[in-house]
Amino acid sequence: MANKRVAIIASNGGLDSAYKVLNIATAAASTDAEVAIFFTFEALAIIHRDAAAMLTMGPGKEHYAEGFKRANVPGISDMLEMAKELGVKMIACQMTMDVTGMTKEMFIDGVEVGGAVTFLDFAYDADVTVTF
Amino acid sequence: MSDVQANKSIDCKGLSCPMPIVRTKKAIDEVQPGQVLEVIATDPGSVADMKAWAERTGHQFIGTTAENGTFTHYIRKSNPSETKPEQTHPHVISNEDLLAKLPDHPVILDVREPAEYAFGHIPGAKLVPFGELEEAIADLQPLAEQDIHVICRTGSRSDMACQVLSERGFSNVKNVIPGMTGWTGPVESK
Repeated sequence: MANKRVAIIASNGGLDSAYKVLNIATAAASTDAEVAIFFTFEALAIIHRDAAAMLTMGPGKEHYAEGFKRANVPGISDMLEMAKELGVKMIACQMTMDVTGMTKEMFIDGVEVGGAVTFLDFAYDADVTVTF
Repeated sequence: MSDVQANKSIDCKGLSCPMPIVRTKKAIDEVQPGQVLEVIATDPGSVADMKAWAERTGHQFIGTTAENGTFTHYIRKSNPSETKPEQTHPHVISNEDLLAKLPDHPVILDVREPAEYAFGHIPGAKLVPFGELEEAIADLQPLAEQDIHVICRTGSRSDMACQVLSERGFSNVKNVIPGMTGWTGPVESK
């Protein structure tokens, strides 16, 4: 069976967005899909070294925190580690970095920096594209 | 169904989606083709996910047992060549022809793994996992002159088993094609 290709665009910050992105990414990669995530705008917080401090649930969503604990959901850093281990490609948006003054060193290891075309080059041949 | 045998077992109790799948993927990479992986989970979503995962990745979903909110899934790691078996044993019999002979109680050897057999086999079929065939030859000797029908899931393992039996002097061995994957006749589970 030819492997499927999944292209994910992450453009929102927040802990809930981080889980949406990483759950789909790890599930797809576990099912032998080739996965790339393009992190842009607020979503760059997900791959930031200080993600734990930067990602919060946001007002009105505090009740999730307890649920995550109860459901034994791994932390974001664990999810990222798993995603990397499964070969998920992570691309940080150069343009957002320029705008916000972020540098590659602020991100976890394994993140590539690229422009829209870098992601599109992967996405052109994608079987599934998801946006968060 | 507690007697289902597995080569490896992983505990995903208490874990939510997608963790059971992520762990399963990791574990399947650690077993050999043909071996059976047991995944114990409490996530009700894993029941549908595990099946979909196996279909997508080409591994064989054998079955799930449920007990007190715990789900035990069995998956057999497939061999890349398995879906397109190379037929080499010249004597074959179709599922339909074997079904027609069932009232005469034909000799049927099921050469799949015990876990696959446990989830559904032809009534009266004798379990001889392919990996244990060599050791079982002596016990099978009384059948050497009889018609023997060898079955597995897709006709691949049974083909190899037919060749082994023929080489050891079993004269009337037939490979059942395509095998349990297309079997529409009666099935019993243990």
